[in-house]
Amino acid sequence: MHIPDGFIPLWQCIIYFAIAAPFVYQSIRWANREMDEKKIPLLGVLAAGIFAIQAMNVPIMWGTSGHMVGAAMAAIILGSPFAGVFLITVVLIIQAIMFGDGGVTTLGANIINMGIISSFIGYYTYTGLKKIGTNEKAVATRVFIGAWLGIFIAALVCAVEMWLAGTFPLVQGLFFMGLYHAVIGLVAEGTISAVVVVSLQKYRSDLFNPRPEVIPS
Amino acid sequence: MKLDRTMKIGIAIALAIALLAPVLASSNPDGLESSASSFPSADEKEQPALEAPMPDYVIPSLGDGPLSGAIAILLGTVLVLLLTMGVGRFLAAKRLKDESS
Repeated sequence: MHIPDGFIPLWQCIIYFAIAAPFVYQSIRWANREMDEKKIPLLGVLAAGIFAIQAMNVPIMWGTSGHMVGAAMAAIILGSPFAGVFLITVVLIIQAIMFGDGGVTTLGANIINMGIISSFIGYYTYTGLKKIGTNEKAVATRVFIGAWLGIFIAALVCAVEMWLAGTFPLVQGLFFMGLYHAVIGLVAEGTISAVVVVSLQKYRSDLFNPRPEVIPS
Repeated sequence: MKLDRTMKIGIAIALAIALLAPVLASSNPDGLESSASSFPSADEKEQPALEAPMPDYVIPSLGDGPLSGAIAILLGTVLVLLLTMGVGRFLAAKRLKDESS
């Protein structure tokens, strides 16, 4: 869902940068506060893994493919939606500048969709569903739902931006973007996020802040 | 800062994905590109603002085969790893220094 240059008029790009800026600022504040000898490598490894997996498009159907975003997963592991914003922002900057994946003018919009929306929806769905339980299966379910919703809602917001930009018609845009990313959410985002979070909680509970929910048995 | 076992496994997984991505990844258009191709006017709007050194995750001088792709994605993965850790370190530097003194 990386929006390329040209898909959004410049004046709208500026508005998206302005909306993204306070979130990116807060994510820098988060890093400022939370980074320590344990979390710096964790942040780096998660970012590297997310970059690599974003380059691996999985085929879905209708001649379309898609890749995981990973913002929700990062936010849940690092215990803050701002962690997801921070990490995805770094990944998006490298992708735009070095690989031409996602535009430079549309970076603000891409940060909003994949960084902010995906992280916040994913993280707060996960924490909000606490009453499902805290055993392995329940945590996996919560992560799956959070990550799925995160990418799905981000795709819908992206479709609305495309409509405001005069690039996609509203209804069909919502339909296609929603449909494709609902499937990507099932086969990639939700599944991979759940597997990674549960394994880390099981084997490296010390990395979680404040504490893990899956108690190693 | 030392990388413990989990981090080393994590880096190995990331590098393995990077290496395999050009072979395994689908070259079909992604969700947004695919949506754009349903709307003829949208498809022509793409207008890169700058020339990226490794467009579409390949090294231009090495062609667009899987080797070129693997090198590009490996470079990107290492760059993201170092940049994120570097920025994280920089942002935490002052606090870590205060805490250790």
